[in-house]
Amino acid sequence: MLDEMKKILTLVNADYADLRYERMLDTKIDFDGKELTLVSTNVTDGYVLRVLKKGGLATVAFTKKSDAKKAIKTAEENAELIGKYQKEPIRLAKAEVINDTYKPNLNIDPREVKIDEKLTLLTHYNQIPYRYQKIATTQMSYEDKVREKYFVNTEGTQIEEDLITTRVIGSIVSQEGTLTQRIRVGFGGSDGYARVINREAEIEEKTKLVLDMLKAKPVTAGNYRVILNQRLAGVFTHEAFGHFSEADIIEESPSMRQKLQLGAELGTPILNIKDDPTQTNQLGHYKYDDEGVRARPTRLLKNGVLVGRLHSRRTAAAFSEPLTGHAIAEDYRYPPIIRMGSIYIEPGQDNFEDLLAKLGDGLYLLNPMGGQTSGENFTFAAQYGYEVKNGKMKDMIRDINISGNLYQTLKNISAIANDLVLGEIGGCGKGQTNIRSCYGAPHILIESVVIGGR
Amino acid sequence: MMEKLLKLAKKVADQVEIYSITYQTDSVSFENSRLKAIDSKIQDGIALRIVKDGKLGFAYTRNLLSREELIENALASIKGGVAAQYQFPLTKKITKLNSFDTAIKKVTNKQMVEECRRICEILGTNTKAEIHTSLEKAVQKIRLINSSGTDLTTQFSEFSGYAGILYPGSHAAIFRILYSKKFEQFPDHWLNLMVALYSQSLKEAKPKTGRMKVLFMPETLYALIWRLKEATNSKNIYEQVSPIKDKLNQKILSEKLTVVDEPLNDNLPNARAFDDEGMPCQNLTIIEAGVFKNFYTDLNYATKLKVEPTGNGYKANISSKITPMLNHLTIRPGQKSFEELIKMIDKGIIACGIMGAHSGNILNGDFSVGLAPGIYVENGEIVGQVKDAMVAGNIYEVMNNVVEIEDTLYPSFTGMASTLGSLPAILFADVSVAMKNS
Repeated sequence: MLDEMKKILTLVNADYADLRYERMLDTKIDFDGKELTLVSTNVTDGYVLRVLKKGGLATVAFTKKSDAKKAIKTAEENAELIGKYQKEPIRLAKAEVINDTYKPNLNIDPREVKIDEKLTLLTHYNQIPYRYQKIATTQMSYEDKVREKYFVNTEGTQIEEDLITTRVIGSIVSQEGTLTQRIRVGFGGSDGYARVINREAEIEEKTKLVLDMLKAKPVTAGNYRVILNQRLAGVFTHEAFGHFSEADIIEESPSMRQKLQLGAELGTPILNIKDDPTQTNQLGHYKYDDEGVRARPTRLLKNGVLVGRLHSRRTAAAFSEPLTGHAIAEDYRYPPIIRMGSIYIEPGQDNFEDLLAKLGDGLYLLNPMGGQTSGENFTFAAQYGYEVKNGKMKDMIRDINISGNLYQTLKNISAIANDLVLGEIGGCGKGQTNIRSCYGAPHILIESVVIGGR
Repeated sequence: MMEKLLKLAKKVADQVEIYSITYQTDSVSFENSRLKAIDSKIQDGIALRIVKDGKLGFAYTRNLLSREELIENALASIKGGVAAQYQFPLTKKITKLNSFDTAIKKVTNKQMVEECRRICEILGTNTKAEIHTSLEKAVQKIRLINSSGTDLTTQFSEFSGYAGILYPGSHAAIFRILYSKKFEQFPDHWLNLMVALYSQSLKEAKPKTGRMKVLFMPETLYALIWRLKEATNSKNIYEQVSPIKDKLNQKILSEKLTVVDEPLNDNLPNARAFDDEGMPCQNLTIIEAGVFKNFYTDLNYATKLKVEPTGNGYKANISSKITPMLNHLTIRPGQKSFEELIKMIDKGIIACGIMGAHSGNILNGDFSVGLAPGIYVENGEIVGQVKDAMVAGNIYEVMNNVVEIEDTLYPSFTGMASTLGSLPAILFADVSVAMKNS
């Protein structure tokens, strides 16, 4: 494959070019309610060509090898057109030339598990909630995705790497009268099929919670002091802070770059944030990004001070900052863009009980239900929570949507526990979907957030 | 090529359907008035559905490297036992639509770059703000054949765009979306309105938490429409989890609201005469003067519910299964101009941009969205921008409190996926707004 790809690159007349070919094997099983609605295993493939020519960088994604010449012509023309409109020509930071093949270690390779076994597993999981009264419906999916990636560039780099994601995701809906409540279920990872077996207890627990949510109180709108659990604090880290450590998000915004200069004091001195795709056995693991750059652990916030950010070759050159290996594409249909790999708040000193005692009166909020950011401001939803009085957990609450200002909130984190957990299900929809975007945190205490409500 | 696949698959199955799509897109994007990227895609895909002994098999591929492998994958899928009680339709007569404008072929990337520059120039000169804009042209061709004898082809041209004025230090923006069958310039009066809204809202307003009027722009109304689409989806009717499952022909929303799916309106791009499983499309009234008239179905859920299919079976992409979707949604316009709507706000918020529409209990109709940005209005005059505020409610309350509807429709998102419809701005009364520090 690599030789064929190198042959295509010889047809390009440019300063630099790279070509990525991916073959994707995808198995998916869906239950909608009690009914099985999809069982499929598929093979798809495609190419992404990038060309740097006369100061412009352009991308063409194409399906058929027979379209390669057309793609090359289009990419060259587009690159030249971009170049004409740049004040400064686009440059790529110098990268190490790599010749490597990397296949991750798998506990159980999902390719070697028969589809019947996967179907039996999912059927079993989907039956668990229905053992209870007042469960209206479920949605349950099994998915494994194998991306066999081949990368070559005109600098001599050639890489083969497999990315394998196995997961079960879904939701459980409870119902009483016209009121419905939904909770998410999900587990999986990048290290094989063993992640998704023997997880009955998790589905059982979520079923009980979604039944309790029918009786929970809708939260009253207002300002609160809150503890976020690990999953929720992870989403906060990803949404509110993480996106602004992606260089492409702030590159063309002078006002944001001003606020986010390296050395800026953004958070409380207890706050440390890192992105590290190189750790194996976690969802966000990879060795090389989709520009063929080796991934590096990148410290972003140290004692509350901004010390690094995530880069592609283009932005590393534009910012004159080191390469980090964070240019990732969803698959063979997309150019790489800067993505978090595995972002987390590093553990602090307290345990969870200490945090409850420090909170005194406030809310304890758990598990994410989606989040979004506009730069300064962010929102995200919690699936459920509890009122806390005198450091004791009281009534369950629901319908919790949080909003806040990034800069104020980073300064409002007053305590961090020692119980870091990285999520098994991540995901991010910055233009493309990245199902391996991993995030985590310990429990954290925030002094003030706005919660919307009816 | 597809005929051969059909013939091969027919040997091993009772029913066969082949869906193929070819599309080509070119997009140009500017950030802070600077040309950032030109990306192109040349993509193909083929999806195969087969039914044997009442069981469904599904497979897809990009490059049809091997017909046999695709059929084998579909046969393996059948073993799962997904029930299919329906027949692939024989559709011969469909409405003739003018969905392809050949002028799209002549649009060059250079032309799109120049239009982006014009937009940046107008918006930037008048605001000194960071301007983001992008334009995309797309040509798609879909062909659907099945063993019942259906052989349908459609081709459409799409030209879409975005222009936004960003508030300093943020991605919150006053923005507008363009969507057309052919190259069009962003109308000057849109750009002027955006400049006016931005300029008048630069200073920060700090109103108090409370219930007030909220004017949802066409660009933000999707937060509410999304919930309505979920509630009227036949899947949720079938699973009995829609809060309005028993309310057909009952009034559930304000009598001012009429919501219609209009796939046959070929003045708009992406008009469709048949859906992704070969059913003829129809214009379908979902809500008429506040009354719930119809839910929308694909073949599968229509069969399960024992109703006539409405022709709303679509695939989100080549790898996804068919599900019921409203891809051509519109709300009937009202009588008031946008300026008149603002004048009607004694105290309230214009929701120009929102965050978190995908969060919360969507099925229940609950929404709670952050404003990015929201503009505070008092006595019909813009006071300033509100930050850190959330608008929340339940659509069956809020959409019963319609004050007035704008007299003009704009291309707008209508839900999670990038499905575009046509929506007006709508002013609602008595909506909960939570502010920071109050």
